[in-house]
Amino acid sequence: MAGSRPLSTRWTLLFSLVTLLGCLVIPGVTVKHENFKKCSQSGFCKRNRAYADDAAAKGSAWSSPYELDSVSIQFKDGQLQGTILKSISAEEKVKLPLVVSFLESGVARVIVDEEKRLTGEIEPRHNSQARKERYNEAEKWVLVGGLELSKSATLDSESEIGITRVLYGPENGYQAIIRHSPFGIEFQRDGQTHVQLNNKGYLNMEHWRPKVDAAEGDREQNSGSQEDESTWWEETFGGNTDSKPRGPESVGLDITFTGYSHVFGIPEHADSLSLRETRGGSGNHEEPYRMYNSDVFEYELNSPMTLYGAIPLMQAHRPGSTVGVFWLNAAETWVDIVKSTSSPNPLSLGVESKTDTQSHWFSESGQIDLFVFLGPTPRDISKTYGELTGYTQLPQHFAIAYHQCRWNYVTDEDVKDVDRNFDKYQIPYDVIWLDIEYLDDRKYFTWDPLTFPNPIAMEEQLSDSERKLVVIIDPHIKNQDKYTISEELKSKNLATRNKDGEIYEGWCWPGSSHWIDCFNPESLKWWAGLFKYDKFKGTLSNVFIWNDMNEPSVFNGPETTMPKDNLHYGNWEHRDIHNLNGITFVNATYGAMLERRKGELRRPFVLTRSYYAGAQRMAAMWTGDNQATWEHLAMSLPMVLNNGISGFPFAGADVGGFFHNPSKDLLTRWYQTGIWYPFFRAHAHIDTRRREPYLIGEPHRSIIAQAIRLRYQLLPAWYTAFHEASVNGTPIVRPQFYVHPSDEAGFAIDDQLYLGSTGILTKPVVSEGATTVDIYLADEEKYYDYFDYTVYQGAGKRHEVSAPLEKVPVLMQGGHVIPRKDRPRRSSGLMKWDPYTLVVVLDKNGEADGTLYVDDGETFDYERGAYIHRRFHFHGSTLSSEDIGAKGPKTVDYLKSMASVRVERVVVIDPPKEWQEKATVTVIEDGAKTASTAAIEYHAQPDGKAAYAVVKNPNIGIGKTWRIEF
Amino acid sequence: MILSQGSLFFVSLAACSTVVAASKDGSARPRGVGPEFAKFYKDVDTFTCISHPAIQIPVSAVNDDYCDCPDGSDEPGTSACAHLSRHSPRSVADRPGNSDLDLTLSLPGFYCKNKGHKPAYVPFQRVNDGICDYDLCCDGSDEWARVGGKKCEDKCKEIGKAWRKNEETKQKSMTTALKKKKELLVDAGRQQKEVEENIQRLEVEIHGQEIKLKNLEADLEDIETQERSKMVKGKKGGKVHVLAQLAKDRVEELRTALSEVRKERDETRSRVKELEEILSKFKVEYNPNFNDEGVKRAVRGWEEYAARGTSDGLENAARDRDLDEIVKPDDDQSGVNWEHWESEEDGCEVDAVYQLAAYLPPSLLNFIEDKVLAIRGFLEKNGVLPPKDEDSASESKAVTEARDAVNAARKSIDDMKNQIKDHKEDLDTDYGVGSIFRALKDVCIQKDAGEYTYEHCFFDQTKQIPKKGGPTSRMGSFERIGSVTIDELNESGEIVPEQRISLEYAKGQTCWNGPARSTTVVLQCGEENEILKVAEDEKCIYSMLVNTPAACPGGEADIPSSGPKDEL
Repeated sequence: MAGSRPLSTRWTLLFSLVTLLGCLVIPGVTVKHENFKKCSQSGFCKRNRAYADDAAAKGSAWSSPYELDSVSIQFKDGQLQGTILKSISAEEKVKLPLVVSFLESGVARVIVDEEKRLTGEIEPRHNSQARKERYNEAEKWVLVGGLELSKSATLDSESEIGITRVLYGPENGYQAIIRHSPFGIEFQRDGQTHVQLNNKGYLNMEHWRPKVDAAEGDREQNSGSQEDESTWWEETFGGNTDSKPRGPESVGLDITFTGYSHVFGIPEHADSLSLRETRGGSGNHEEPYRMYNSDVFEYELNSPMTLYGAIPLMQAHRPGSTVGVFWLNAAETWVDIVKSTSSPNPLSLGVESKTDTQSHWFSESGQIDLFVFLGPTPRDISKTYGELTGYTQLPQHFAIAYHQCRWNYVTDEDVKDVDRNFDKYQIPYDVIWLDIEYLDDRKYFTWDPLTFPNPIAMEEQLSDSERKLVVIIDPHIKNQDKYTISEELKSKNLATRNKDGEIYEGWCWPGSSHWIDCFNPESLKWWAGLFKYDKFKGTLSNVFIWNDMNEPSVFNGPETTMPKDNLHYGNWEHRDIHNLNGITFVNATYGAMLERRKGELRRPFVLTRSYYAGAQRMAAMWTGDNQATWEHLAMSLPMVLNNGISGFPFAGADVGGFFHNPSKDLLTRWYQTGIWYPFFRAHAHIDTRRREPYLIGEPHRSIIAQAIRLRYQLLPAWYTAFHEASVNGTPIVRPQFYVHPSDEAGFAIDDQLYLGSTGILTKPVVSEGATTVDIYLADEEKYYDYFDYTVYQGAGKRHEVSAPLEKVPVLMQGGHVIPRKDRPRRSSGLMKWDPYTLVVVLDKNGEADGTLYVDDGETFDYERGAYIHRRFHFHGSTLSSEDIGAKGPKTVDYLKSMASVRVERVVVIDPPKEWQEKATVTVIEDGAKTASTAAIEYHAQPDGKAAYAVVKNPNIGIGKTWRIEF
Repeated sequence: MILSQGSLFFVSLAACSTVVAASKDGSARPRGVGPEFAKFYKDVDTFTCISHPAIQIPVSAVNDDYCDCPDGSDEPGTSACAHLSRHSPRSVADRPGNSDLDLTLSLPGFYCKNKGHKPAYVPFQRVNDGICDYDLCCDGSDEWARVGGKKCEDKCKEIGKAWRKNEETKQKSMTTALKKKKELLVDAGRQQKEVEENIQRLEVEIHGQEIKLKNLEADLEDIETQERSKMVKGKKGGKVHVLAQLAKDRVEELRTALSEVRKERDETRSRVKELEEILSKFKVEYNPNFNDEGVKRAVRGWEEYAARGTSDGLENAARDRDLDEIVKPDDDQSGVNWEHWESEEDGCEVDAVYQLAAYLPPSLLNFIEDKVLAIRGFLEKNGVLPPKDEDSASESKAVTEARDAVNAARKSIDDMKNQIKDHKEDLDTDYGVGSIFRALKDVCIQKDAGEYTYEHCFFDQTKQIPKKGGPTSRMGSFERIGSVTIDELNESGEIVPEQRISLEYAKGQTCWNGPARSTTVVLQCGEENEILKVAEDEKCIYSMLVNTPAACPGGEADIPSSGPKDEL
């Protein structure tokens, strides 16, 4: 009957639904585009692109409405101040205060603000409590120095009318040419223009305006104004509406790199190192590069889509010159890139075509605060950028060894079991990790009483072999009564608030949650208290912290994050500070880890997923939730390299791929690649098969073990590279252009890398089934296979290196001394007293150079001289070790403690043939009464492979000054 | 030794290297050399690498903390050759002059004499690493260089004592285990015999039942013949009467069916409601950030379903009142007045029969017909109800009884045959050597681990019982006896594969987003039946390490061979 039929259809439907639930398919592997905005869905992005399109369309007829009021210009103590006037109608002009600072380091800083907002003469809508100013506190979180104004910068008195010239930089060899109307700045080095601001006329500062609710009739009359107001006052995306209390307020600027065809930087994107054009066309992107820190599920490759972190530092490179800009703005930011090549004049011989790269930057709110670096080398950018934002924290030594992670090790017994298994199979590891399942009901600072009943015993077992534990602590706090942390967060009013000023509630792992607002200084104090051993029960001193989901990730929020009209400490809108949010949380954790126990001061270790410029001072990062595919393996290299040149080199990708199960070959190749990540951690999703390296079976197990031991063998070189990063900002693994800045053919290469200054060059295999790789050599030096000393030579071309599954393709460039520790141990902590092997790779002239940095790997005593810093130099027929450290109060004691650590072996590669006859070498150690001798053995090799000589037991202390005469 | 001065250290190191350890018999061996290798270290001038006799070095190079021999035999007392392993990256400089050389250690490790306990080898990579490896080297001799100031005291006395005590217990336990195993074997033999006897008994019974069945069948035929003749004669006369009687019965039957169907409908409705509640809760509680396509599809499907209305809208009180009315017994007030029909004269009989339907309340007729066919059909199709046989024609009590007797006899024979089949299958099942596991059949053991209690019932199934509440998950039903290879460490720390008996359980409950659960139970010898460890090796694939005396070696020979399989 009629009444019964619908019932049966429903039944059928329900049954099919149940069936469907029963046979769930493997989740798709593509990013959910609908969850994230395209430029056209982000009001200010669309407006700024349209503005640029409009200007470009008008061509020479376009005139930027911004003019520097010549009368307002003042120059004093290396700083130029003035007012830019923006004409919004014939009679109305908006005042935009301008400050250009010329810094002692040779960096120029340009700040443009808006007077009305600065002085509070605006009226936010909806009675919003939001601050009226443009956000001007980013520097508080990001900058740590380098702001001394130049004493020598001077105004050039010979400037023509309408132009102000400032001479600055080393020997005043730099020049900023400030054009008044339309406003623009050209930066020159040695008489040549490198960087131009607003020469395309895309400068755009959306000034304050009240919302005019025009009547229907008025709209007709106002048709003269062609501006599209639809995204000015309210924007809705994915069911969330942004109330935008201050209306349109974006800032935009075009920055041209004159004569540069490669730009790098602005992580984090899953894309090539050399950035692509973004205005369409073959091989180009359609969308601008976006920086809006987000938890992007199953992110796609070769994409300008935003990811978890952002560093708005871009560098442009051409043979012999590198320049850069740093856009200090924490709001959502997009960057368009267009390259234009001017055809050479066919009549003028020898003049080549010239390529300019135009970048167009725009942020949703805040000031324009731009730093311009004039290089001229990549190292100079690293150095000066590091002076401003800080250098990489010298990590604890264990942190650069191998990390074993999984979501999740399910019980404390499970952890102990994994620990025992690594020893059983004699594979070294230093750190084991716990993801969110260790928690009691997803409440941070607790342990699941059923699965982790005895965390202390677990940590003690790890400690027995100097191993560490890292546990996850995220910024979302479960919203639950009787959970002390949640109650304190609320009662102390330390949580982020919604637009109405009430505690914001959203969803994350624990379900309903609140978010700690680390912009609040009180939050830092409270947070520090939570990590003390008596407060965070179940932790010993070998426990460290992983900060995840700090974009922040909010499962039910717009674009999986917080609403932009949420309010933070000081009533700054979330919109203003979004990209900083991650590092404020890391900052809180870093501070807390310093204060765990009075008198116990050790370097913290924190891993973060979200980051911004400055994160390098506090944390390591990883590239988030990648996938177990060959493509993701390949992409990990440009991503890690890009982070390295962007000042945050302590980076890595999940070895093995987070989602899905890697094949045995893929896992093996991933380990062989992962050992070259500064941050070397294997991780896996909860739904994947177990894949600890001992489980894989032979021959893969041995191959992976070899790779991990290779990393451990080279730890002295890695630690030295970290030290270099901590004082010079240099990347730990370096791309081709960084090492060979004049070799244009190598600029776009991002699949091979150099380890620090060691001359070690590797090109990991990242494609299935490959048994060879083509390594590109930029220079005429000889390169030697790391394992059998096969010689490769020939600049500017690719060399085929065999790479069967069991082999990592690694070469050593001639001219380096590489420090190693060859004895395998259970963990890096147990290698502390082991002797060194020095590998001397002679260059064309028979010379070699290298450095070694050693300290206790744990405390801050190195700041007081407790370290060894040596330079090894081979010249003529002498290898010498020279002290390049500075003495401090703790130097003597430290050297004494290290007195037993020696060099056990020196391997010289490609030595002179005459050494064949040598049986001994003379060893002279400072302070020894007489010279001694050590045995040397020369070994010839078949053609194509270099001979080598081995000095046995020279009996020299690593901390000593000595020389070996061959 | 004072180690503050580097060079001094090396001097003393060199001294150490030539220091030889005296053993009981007075002969001397270099540090770290076990007695079985002493013979290689006798020469006072040169040392010959054990696996590479072509390579000779001066004795001063033995234990000089520098690796000379490609097999590491020159450094029995240091970690200098620890890198000689297939787990290490190998460069040509590690095997001078012979790059094809396979680098393996010829010594099992650093020999700790462990006086007061038993001697042992500690892997070279643990020598002088600053950690006292008391589990292998209770005398602390592995840390002789005292790196970083580490001093490992000799703890052999206490460790040895504890070990001996432990060994004694273990030995006792092994004896008990073996005893238990023998008992199990006896049990298993007895049980096997029982099964065989059962088969014999059943075969005899079947024979008897078959004779009985034949008699019953003959009876049935007689009765049926008699009944048929009765029917022709008729009792009370008219066809209408007969038909009315039939119709009455039919209506009664339909009425009963209606209440049954209603009952089933109500049950099904409540199940739909339950499912809907599960799904609406699921929609609220699922994690949207997981972006699991399957989950999202399910949620979407549910939303569409819910948009068309849920089971809440299906209840119709008015119709239920109608139905209540219908199911009331017939009398002159409601339904059909059968008396009228039963007293009706024969006449327009044929028409009347065909008009019978017209006298039934139309709602009843239509509803019942429709409902019974549609719903029952649907429920059968979906497996909710078993298909029902065609309605059998009405027959007399005697016939029914006779037929029931025949059916019962047949069923009893079938049952017994099935039992025999089961028993025979059971006899064919592999219960291991001496059928020992037969004795453990259906023995259940439990283990608390984390948030679950795990249960293993030998040869039946494995289960996971959540402590926090919620349903128990079946982790597999018994499939077969198998074997697995376990990597064990031998005395010298090398990995050696060992075969273990395993019990494979498969086709358990299907996992959310994963396979059907399965469990490999790995057995090892132990005094008690006991789950030692449960691990989820990969999603929903478990392994259990289980102790049982049944897995202990030996004992079979002592049991008189029952030879069950030979007899069959």
